[in-house]
Amino acid sequence: MKHSFIDKYSKLNSTVHRLDPRIKLLMTFLGIIIIVSEPPGKILPFAFYGVAVLILMLLSRIPLGFIIKRFLILSPFILMAALFFPVSLWLTNDEQIVNLQHPAFKVALSIFLKAGLSVILLILLISTDKFHNLLLGLRKLKMPKLIGVIAALMYRYVFILSDEALKTKRARESRTPGKLKVNKMKVFSNQMAMIFLRSWERSKIIYHSMLSRGFNGEFPVMQKLAMNRIDVVFFVCFLTAFLAVRFLITPLT
Amino acid sequence: MSVSIHINNLNYSYEQDKPVLKNISLDINPGEKFGIIGPMGSGKSTLLLHLNGILMVDGIVKIGDTVIEKKSLADIRRKVGLVFQNPDDQLFNPTVEEDIAFGPLNFGLNNEEVKARVSYALEAMNLSGFEKSLSHHLSMGERKRVALATVLALKPEVIALDEPFSSLDPPMMMQLINLINSFEATLVIVSQSLLPLIACCQRVALINKGKIIAVGPVKEIIKDDELMRSNGLDLSFYKKTFKEFF
Repeated sequence: MKHSFIDKYSKLNSTVHRLDPRIKLLMTFLGIIIIVSEPPGKILPFAFYGVAVLILMLLSRIPLGFIIKRFLILSPFILMAALFFPVSLWLTNDEQIVNLQHPAFKVALSIFLKAGLSVILLILLISTDKFHNLLLGLRKLKMPKLIGVIAALMYRYVFILSDEALKTKRARESRTPGKLKVNKMKVFSNQMAMIFLRSWERSKIIYHSMLSRGFNGEFPVMQKLAMNRIDVVFFVCFLTAFLAVRFLITPLT
Repeated sequence: MSVSIHINNLNYSYEQDKPVLKNISLDINPGEKFGIIGPMGSGKSTLLLHLNGILMVDGIVKIGDTVIEKKSLADIRRKVGLVFQNPDDQLFNPTVEEDIAFGPLNFGLNNEEVKARVSYALEAMNLSGFEKSLSHHLSMGERKRVALATVLALKPEVIALDEPFSSLDPPMMMQLINLINSFEATLVIVSQSLLPLIACCQRVALINKGKIIAVGPVKEIIKDDELMRSNGLDLSFYKKTFKEFF
């Protein structure tokens, strides 16, 4: 079975794709911190962040439709988080929040924009580099080794698990003419249990395979990363723009 | 002549009172291609796991002059490469290059040497250009070859292969047989596919219910209808079908 949905556009050759993964990781995480640190209720600064993110999107040459589609998948969660504040206010106070001009909605909008822009930055990060390069970047940025190992194994085996799930689904469907007539919950829970047992069995064999090639708790890597002047200039420009919005424009709004 | 693998009185059980291997004794010569055959659940794969200390030994297993014990495990794992039946169990790194480099890096080789080993293994398995490929994007045949490459990169003295011929189409199988015949290392092959074993191996051991029933030249053992039938490997159907079709 072929899978490519996670790293579909990682092979493009754009300015953003060519950046060192450490730079992309730092840009993303610092960008998110700056965006999230905006005081609640301020809306105008997000227009500036939005323009910066849009420039990044255009430079990355990743189709806008792809980014929007991914964003839409996550948008219900963002919307829920944003609406949580006015709804909780409405439930706990006697105050009737029917007017959209109410400050609570302004706060909700700023939460939506904060989360939305952060999600788009993350989508850009994982779409502009191969997953193993990002892992290597994280490792070079001193991420705990164990988390790196877990993430690498998860990325490798998520496809195998999805294959297992698909196989058990096909096995079920091939013996199910039309709708399931037996207890659905029982069937699905048996299916889940089977996938879990197979994964557990497989994890033992994989561990044997690792041991047989000298595994001693370390995941050594051969690849080296090289940062160049363009990486540094790009990083400085990006960070300066974000900091300028946060500390020069935000106080004026 | 000294032997490559010496097994003496090996016993093993996963559960108490249910022995999987019983008093296994076997000598395999350097450079020999040795097959292990037997019905399902006879203990073939369990025996293979003893060859590089994945399962600890009750008895004596020696690789060359090195006895398998806790303190010799690093040395043993450098000497014996184990290739699992399902390549997805063997390939756990994101890229082919990283997977092949995993063993050599663990054994402390420097980057230059590791790169050379990766190139050597890829070339030997006709996989040059696959360095940056993602394992989950490869076909089963390609993944099988990458799995073998991960072990070749260690340049082991002994290569133990568990069902290497399963899930391969005839051209891929032929390619693998040619590769196996070109290896200088000692090879131990566990397989249910007897035809490729005949094409590769000089000797085989027939195992049933954890015991070695017979050891001898591959053609002698497989041609002995009575021996094969009484140990769960009745080949009369295949012979009859072959006779009718070819």
